[in-house]
Amino acid sequence: MTSQQVIEQIRAKFGEGLQASEEPVPGTIYLTMDKDLIQPACRYLQDDLGGRFLISAGIDRRPREGCLSVSHIFSRDKEKQFICLRADVSENGAEVESITPWVAGANWSERECQDLLGVKAKGHPDPRRLVLSDDWPEGVHPLRKDFPYDAKPDPVEGAEMKFKEAPEGTSTLVVGPFYPVLEEPAQLRLFVDGERVVDCDYRGFYNHRGIEKLGDSVLTYNQIPFVAERICGICGFIHSSCYCEAAEEAAGVAAPRRAKYIRSIMLEIERVHSHLLWLGIAGHILGFDTVLMQAWRIREPIMWLCEKITGNRKTYGMNLVGGVRRDMPADLHPEILDVLAKIESESLAVADAIQGDTTLLLRLRGVGMLPEEEARRLCVVGPTVRGSNIGIDARVDHPYAAYDELETRVITHDGCDNWARVLVRVEEIFEAIRLVREGLKQMPEGPIMVDFAEEIPAGRQGVCTVEAPRGEAIHYLISGENNRPDRWRVRAPTYQNLQALPLMIKGETIADVPITLGSMDPCFSCTERVETVDVRTGERALLTKEDLDRLSQRRSGR
Amino acid sequence: MAQVIGLAVLNLALVVGLAPLAEGVMRRIRAIVHSRKGPPLIQPYLDLLKLLAKEDLIPETSVLWQLGPLVCLGAVLMAALLTPLGPPPPLAFAGDAIVFMYFIALAGVAIMLGAFACGNPYAYVGASREMMMILSVEPVMAIALVTAAVKAGSLSFPDMVSSYAAAGPSVSMVVAGIAFLLALQAQVGKLPFDIAEAEQEIMGGPFIERSGPGLALFKLASYAKLLIFGSLLVQVFIPLPRFGPWVANLAVNLVGVAVLVAVVGLVNAVNPRLRIDQSMSYFSRVVVFVAVAGLVFASIGA
Repeated sequence: MTSQQVIEQIRAKFGEGLQASEEPVPGTIYLTMDKDLIQPACRYLQDDLGGRFLISAGIDRRPREGCLSVSHIFSRDKEKQFICLRADVSENGAEVESITPWVAGANWSERECQDLLGVKAKGHPDPRRLVLSDDWPEGVHPLRKDFPYDAKPDPVEGAEMKFKEAPEGTSTLVVGPFYPVLEEPAQLRLFVDGERVVDCDYRGFYNHRGIEKLGDSVLTYNQIPFVAERICGICGFIHSSCYCEAAEEAAGVAAPRRAKYIRSIMLEIERVHSHLLWLGIAGHILGFDTVLMQAWRIREPIMWLCEKITGNRKTYGMNLVGGVRRDMPADLHPEILDVLAKIESESLAVADAIQGDTTLLLRLRGVGMLPEEEARRLCVVGPTVRGSNIGIDARVDHPYAAYDELETRVITHDGCDNWARVLVRVEEIFEAIRLVREGLKQMPEGPIMVDFAEEIPAGRQGVCTVEAPRGEAIHYLISGENNRPDRWRVRAPTYQNLQALPLMIKGETIADVPITLGSMDPCFSCTERVETVDVRTGERALLTKEDLDRLSQRRSGR
Repeated sequence: MAQVIGLAVLNLALVVGLAPLAEGVMRRIRAIVHSRKGPPLIQPYLDLLKLLAKEDLIPETSVLWQLGPLVCLGAVLMAALLTPLGPPPPLAFAGDAIVFMYFIALAGVAIMLGAFACGNPYAYVGASREMMMILSVEPVMAIALVTAAVKAGSLSFPDMVSSYAAAGPSVSMVVAGIAFLLALQAQVGKLPFDIAEAEQEIMGGPFIERSGPGLALFKLASYAKLLIFGSLLVQVFIPLPRFGPWVANLAVNLVGVAVLVAVVGLVNAVNPRLRIDQSMSYFSRVVVFVAVAGLVFASIGA
């Protein structure tokens, strides 16, 4: 079904309710609906047109259009289409019908919109706060344009989160906000009967960073890539790439092919080290520290390689709107291939050892079940959904960077359990290595940057998905005045995956909770767009590498 | 009397003095498997000293809480006085094997009661896991020891040792020894059976609220258990040649225990943790039958 046919179908179904339609780039459709019809339209899009919910974005359009609006973005994966349904609401009585009862994946998105923009989702099954802190005053919505980015409202005394009541006959085991294997703040309240988990409740977003707010009030188009990269400490490059591709779409510029290839290659290198890192952590969660130590030992050379290519070990600072800042000269290629060959052979050895370990199988197989239909219903992404035998992969569904020319094999397994998710990731390591090799072979010569004057006419839109190691990340951008976006919406994959956790741990034992959570490779920092800053370190004297070496040697008595 | 006191001092000094070293060796083995350098061998001694010098945080005044580590280490040290380490055990008497099992169970119970007394939900989960481990592992050890008792016709460790050494290897004792070895890994709380503590799941379980000297005593008790059970396995279930001077017997025993420590350390390094239900069904559906088989062989004289 072409984009035009989709628009026709919706017009036929909703008539005058479809107020406007637009297709600025092929395959990306923006529709404006009557606000009372947005909910049936979303249902129609999901149930009849095969749309998959991606994310909602609440937008304050009062300065220019005099209204608030909510956009629900869907993907039709097979047709490579994005469909964005927008509904405008007035400032008084800002409220739209909730789509969560039908589109389960929209649960957090709608709550976030409620918190940050103050557009209520009428009929939402769980309208509690999601993002704002407990002591944030009612009725203050930080994403509204009249809220300064650095304002600090007075905290409300004595406010606290309303947690779910423990079901009868269960006791509550609180996991977090600081829990040794999660490493990031989030609170999971497990209602347990003995060792068995009956139900749970979640509270996260303890350190919301407000990066989106910075994007539309402080930063400029070409500053955002560097902040976007800091959304995640492991897969940062996907966020800067995703932002840049969305901004390029809005600006109507295209990065040169060579830059696109460099992005793809770096993205795959990032996938290799992220999956190895995850493998180690998964081993550690099960008490199998040998896997942790070996996987991270194997991973280390790729970090050195990244430093050599980009100048930085992790946060590369390579992307700009319009291209990349550093070339990947031909004399580096042999070294990249050497490092990858070593990592490939060592990873194979680890993969073989893991697959032959019966105790590991006992712990992973049949645990943390996420049935195919539930995975689809909750709009889960990445290896988590591919372990439930659903081949969603942004590299194939919505090719970005150079993936239109780099053919990607989508790896799926049908176990629907933690083991299937392990297998997907392990195989993806080898697929990613293959893609880097292909990319290096096919990469054309040419420039790596086009001129981009940091000027986009206001009101242009761009949307891009990037397949991160944890799943699909989405950046949606509306251009604005003063060289900065009017709205920059980010969704990291964990945001969607975490919503499936209550289902995955229901009926499992306490012992299986950490590894089930671990099996989706959660990254709370991406979800919350969090940054922790130790204010004290600024005042301490800088330690050189020699100092650190000496200190750690003294600690270990050598 | 003087001899008994001398032997008692020797036993306690050996167990308390060498147990942290055994732990250090296991850490080093783990480090080698990890491709790490690992901590110095004496690290566990330093850990214990550091903990002993630290403040003991007491969540609320509870006698059970404060008695926990004392009773636990006390029971383990009493068990050490009954353990044949090569020299004759200082407190040997008819039926000391039964008393030994009681002391070991008491050590576990002390951990549980201390955990229940602190009110932390993770400690509760850990304590109930500890209880399930005791219930599934100790019968296996008891049956294996009964097998040895049947063969020796006595419930006293020195008799078991001397009679097996004199009679030479037998099927029943080999089978019982295997069962004892399988149970040993769980009894000393090493992977894949460190379920009661499970750092990544319940953050140390019974010990989550422990700090300072209390934690040090628990740790020492746990290190000492490995030496005690290791010696028991080497002495009772392996027909070692007996020498006149006990120093030679002690040396043979320590070599045996060292090999065992290496085995336990290696298994500990190459396994993930089992779930409590998986571990229980392993012991109560598999290992217990190995132990029973040993007993059956013994009762038909094999």
